[in-house]
Amino acid sequence: MVEIFRSAINIISALAIPIFIVVFLGWGVIKKVKVYEVFVEGAKDGFNTAVRIIPFLVAMLFAIGIFRVSGAMDVVVLILSPITNLIGMPAEVLPLGLLRPLSGSGSMGLMTELMKTNGVDSFIGVLASTMYGSSETTFYILAVYFGSVGIKNTRHALPAGLIADFFGMLGAVFITRILFGI
Amino acid sequence: MLNYVWISLLMIGIFTAVGRDINDEVTNTYRNGVPVTAQFETTKQRTSVRPAYDGEIIFPSAAFDQFYNISSTQSQQTEIRQTAILTTLSSGKQKLEIPITDATPSFWKEMAKAAGGKDKLEAEIISFDQGKKEIIFTMERVSFVKIKAVTKAAIEFSDTAVTISLSLIGVMALWLGIMKVGEAAGLLEILTKLMTPITRRLFPDVPSNHPAVAAMIMNIAANMFGLNNAATPMGLKAMEELNKINPKAGTATNAMCTFLVINTSGLTLIPATVIAIRAGLGSADPGIIIGTSIFGAACATTAGLISVKILQRLPRYKKELLVEDKDAEVKNG
Repeated sequence: MVEIFRSAINIISALAIPIFIVVFLGWGVIKKVKVYEVFVEGAKDGFNTAVRIIPFLVAMLFAIGIFRVSGAMDVVVLILSPITNLIGMPAEVLPLGLLRPLSGSGSMGLMTELMKTNGVDSFIGVLASTMYGSSETTFYILAVYFGSVGIKNTRHALPAGLIADFFGMLGAVFITRILFGI
Repeated sequence: MLNYVWISLLMIGIFTAVGRDINDEVTNTYRNGVPVTAQFETTKQRTSVRPAYDGEIIFPSAAFDQFYNISSTQSQQTEIRQTAILTTLSSGKQKLEIPITDATPSFWKEMAKAAGGKDKLEAEIISFDQGKKEIIFTMERVSFVKIKAVTKAAIEFSDTAVTISLSLIGVMALWLGIMKVGEAAGLLEILTKLMTPITRRLFPDVPSNHPAVAAMIMNIAANMFGLNNAATPMGLKAMEELNKINPKAGTATNAMCTFLVINTSGLTLIPATVIAIRAGLGSADPGIIIGTSIFGAACATTAGLISVKILQRLPRYKKELLVEDKDAEVKNG
């Protein structure tokens, strides 16, 4: 069952982009759109959008970078671990949960490390990969998406995003405990 | 809130770094100026051309860990063997040069990084007894490790940010071009109409025939199938469209926040990266986490959507949408 689901998704993922290009541009030809001219016209904005993101991403990443290398994470883990112990989250994966919204590459490294030291198919290994797979790099997405249109006041997006991350972690711990728990 | 989180990340980071460096200095974590004894085994004698001994310094692991007060043994071997070059300076003093290799104890690797990002460590030799092969030396001074790392990180990460942004140019241009053709051909309109029943509920403020809807739908679909290269440009296109109906430039609308939360909760049907890493580490069943990840991401998405809808009703956030109240708004962040 899982196998069929997986291969179906893999096929769709592989074909999606070519099909997408054919349908969009093909439809354009049918509708007598000057496809090349319109494509170039649209593509022109690519540069501006990318450049607009720069200040937002610099602000975000350098703060996250400083936080990460300072070792402040260890301190936060020390403070939070009694609370996370209560909900049955092993102390080893707490840093991963904290780093996940902040840094994509950092949390990937941490997840790999956890799987190496505890075993890929161990409870902690499965939990770590589930936690990584059930969330996204909230701060990065926030900076890029809002930065691209110059949004400085992000209102309730960050709290809502962090609540989502928190419940994603809870969900990961819950389901992994039930299915692979000790 | 972002203002406070941002400044907290910076301040906590910098103050922790300073605190740890002071602590390192007080407890002398890096054993600055403390002589250490080890065995030195010569592998290559000195010649008249090259007045240096090549060799290996040998420590019992336990002695190394005890010297640096490391609680957990970092190496599996009982012995640390580290290549080193012993040179005699013109002043008559002897110097030990320790190149950093893969076999170097991680504590020394860290020290080398702190000593200025060099690929070697230096030590001053106090005595060297060739007959007994015994060497006594003091390692070079290492201090302010964390605060140096913070300085380096600030510069490096700013650089990374620019690299990431610029690397988006290509895919952005590609997808924006294709989307523009779809728009001109009326394809986005058709897609928008199809999805209206769902999007009307999620984004009540967005007119149901607005092009933003199509872009958002395509972004969410691309995310689900793990097409990251396509998802970001479509997401940014959606943001651009949403911003066209934003009454107050620079402030996020309810629809933008909802859309962002859907993205940050990362609902993916196949977490391809994780599966690849698991397979690489020799997992018996790399795909075992597909179901659990979908469950976790579904929890995140549900919680995110509920909280975004509740939070947008709070007077605090509602007030920020008002166009007149400009000055008060800037302070609120």
